[in-house]
Amino acid sequence: MGVNYTSVQWNRQKKLYDAVLVGGVAAYLVAFSVLTKLLFPRVTDEIMLIRAFGTAAFVLLHIILCIGPLCRLNPRFLPLLYNRRHAGVTCFLIGLIHAALVVITYHAGSDTNPILSIFVSSPLNGSISGVPFQPFGFFALLILFLMAATSHDFWLANLSAPVWKSLHMLVYFAYALLVLHVTFGVLQGEGSPVYVGAVGFGLVTVLGLHIVAGFREAKADVSTETMNVLEGKTLTPRAADSPLNDGFVDACAVADIPENRARIVCLSGERVAIFKYEGKISAVSNVCQHQNGPLGEGKIVFGCITCPWHGYQYQPDTGASPPPFVEKVPTFNVRVKNGRVFVHPKPNPAGARAEPAQFEMVGTRSTASQT
Amino acid sequence: MERVPTNVSDEFYIGWEAKAAPGIGKTVRCAVIAVLALALLVPVVLAVSQRMIGVSVFEWGTQKTFSGVLQTQPYPHLLVPRPGVNEKHTLQSVLFSPAMFSTYHLVAPWKFGLNRAAIAPLDGKSVTLKGTLIYRGSQTMIETKPEWIRPNEKTPNSASLPQSVALGKQTLTGEIVDSKCFLGVMNPGQLTPHRACAIRCISGGVPPVLLVRQKDGPAIYLLLVSADGKAVNKQVLDLVAEPVEITGEVERQGELLILRADPVTYRRVK
Repeated sequence: MGVNYTSVQWNRQKKLYDAVLVGGVAAYLVAFSVLTKLLFPRVTDEIMLIRAFGTAAFVLLHIILCIGPLCRLNPRFLPLLYNRRHAGVTCFLIGLIHAALVVITYHAGSDTNPILSIFVSSPLNGSISGVPFQPFGFFALLILFLMAATSHDFWLANLSAPVWKSLHMLVYFAYALLVLHVTFGVLQGEGSPVYVGAVGFGLVTVLGLHIVAGFREAKADVSTETMNVLEGKTLTPRAADSPLNDGFVDACAVADIPENRARIVCLSGERVAIFKYEGKISAVSNVCQHQNGPLGEGKIVFGCITCPWHGYQYQPDTGASPPPFVEKVPTFNVRVKNGRVFVHPKPNPAGARAEPAQFEMVGTRSTASQT
Repeated sequence: MERVPTNVSDEFYIGWEAKAAPGIGKTVRCAVIAVLALALLVPVVLAVSQRMIGVSVFEWGTQKTFSGVLQTQPYPHLLVPRPGVNEKHTLQSVLFSPAMFSTYHLVAPWKFGLNRAAIAPLDGKSVTLKGTLIYRGSQTMIETKPEWIRPNEKTPNSASLPQSVALGKQTLTGEIVDSKCFLGVMNPGQLTPHRACAIRCISGGVPPVLLVRQKDGPAIYLLLVSADGKAVNKQVLDLVAEPVEITGEVERQGELLILRADPVTYRRVK
C-alpha cells in the first residue's frame, strides 16, 4: 500500500517469489547453454546465447500470461500473481539481452546503421521464409519496455489505474507479435517438429486457459442473471425494488453473503462489492484503486476489506485505507429489509462514509431488521 | 448480474503476511515445482532438437601468418603452394589431381569484404599476411586487413598458377549464403534466422556463394559472379537465404568453383 514511493517494498513473500524467479531463469539458461555446447561444440557462443535468452523470454512470457486465468479459475494460485510484475520486468530484461546480442551479431559492423538494419535487411520478397521477422520482435520488445518502465506504483498512481491497465493489456499484442517473430524466424530455419509443436502447445495453452476462464465467468454471470429473472428481480434501479420507493435496488439476500466475504452485483453498469461482517453490511466499488483488483473477491481482515491481488486494504464503511495509507474507493448506501440487501446505485465520493446496515444474526443464517 | 466469489473457503492469501495459509501454500509449492521442472525440461528438449549447427570453425582471437600468391579475381583469395605436389600443369591434373595450391578466401573484419582497391597493387604477387582462420569442410578463409598484407621477395611462377577450366553449362539448386558466416564466423550462419546478417555481409563485399547440398557427398560451394565474371554482391541481396535455381557456366580455378550467370536469371524455388 502506498504512503511514499520506494523502489521495491520488500517482504518475505516477494523475496521468495524473486528467488524462485531468478533461480528458474538461471536454471533454464544454464541447462540450455551447457547442453547446446555439449551436443554441438562448434556452435558459436553468441548464437547459443541468442537462442538461450530468446527462448527463455518466450517461455517466461507464456508462464506470465497463464497466471491471470489460472487465478480466475482457482484463487489458490493468487500468490503467483502477487509479484508478477517482477516476472514481467525479468522477461523484458531477458528479451533485451537477446535483442542486444542479435543487433551486435547480425547487424553491427556493417554498411548500414544497426537499428535501421533491423528494418531494411530482410526485404519482402514474396516468400514466407522472406517475411522480415525481426521487426515483430523489435516492436514486442518496445511494448515490454513500456510495461517494465511503468511497472512501478508511481506510474500506476500518476497514469491512473484504468490507463495503466490499458497500457499493460498491450502484453497480449506483444505476445501476438512474438508468435509471429518466432513463426517467421526460427521456425523457418529449425525444421524440427519439436519447435513447431512447442510454439503450438504454448499458444493453445495460453488461449485455452483464457477461453476457459472467460467462459466460466460468463457462465456464472448468465446463471445468476437467470436466477434473478426467475426470482422476478431486475438489474436496473426501480422504485418498486425499494420499500421506501427511494431508488434503492434489491441486490441480494443477506444469507447469500458469507461472513467476512462479499457478493458482487452489477448496478448501473458498475460492479459493487457487498460485504457482510460483524452483523453489518457495507458496499464499496468492486475496483481496487491499486491495480483494479476485484475487492469483492477479497476478505475482511483485521476489520478491513483486503484486496485478493496485493493485499491493499479499505475500511468497509468509508472505503478509505487505514492511516497512514491514502487509497480510497467509492462507497454505496445500503439498507437491509426482510433479509434482503438494498443498495443505492449512486456511488458516494471515494472515502465518504456510508452508514453500514445492521442485521441480526441467528446461527449461521440471518434475519433482517430495518435500519 | 450477481456473482458468488469462487473461493468461499476461509483461506485467504495476503502477500505482505509472513506466511501463506497451509492449503494455499501447498498449492503454490506444487505450482513452483511444476514451473521449475518446466524450466529444466523445456531447455533440454529445445537444445536437443536443434538441427542447424554445422561443423565449422572460426579461430577467433588467434592470428596466424600465411604466405602465398594474392589474387583479387573473382573475389580476393590467397593461393598457398602445397608442398610435394607436382607443379606441372595439365588438364588432367587440374581436374583429377590434388590441387597444387590451397585456396584461402580473404575477407575483412565484421561484415565487409576485403577492399579490392587497397590490395590491387599486390594482385598476382607473393605476399605474407596475418589473419584469423575460418574453415568448414574443404573451404578455408582468412579474416585479414589490407594493412596486414605485405609483399615478400619471392616471385611466383605464374605458369604454375591455377588456370580456369570450363565445366560447361549447368543448372544448380541451392541457397545463397554469405561465405564468411557460413564457413564459421557464425554457426549456424544460414537460412531465415541469419538472412539479415547474410544480406549485410554480402552487401558489404563478402563473397556470395551458392551452397548446393548433395544427397550423397559433401556440399558444393560455388562463387557467384556475373556472366562476364564481375562481382554480383548488390544484385543477389533479395534472394539470399532462399532456395534458388541458377543456370550458368561453371568453371574450376584451382580449388575454386565459379558459377557465371546473370543474377536476373536466378529463379526462386518454392
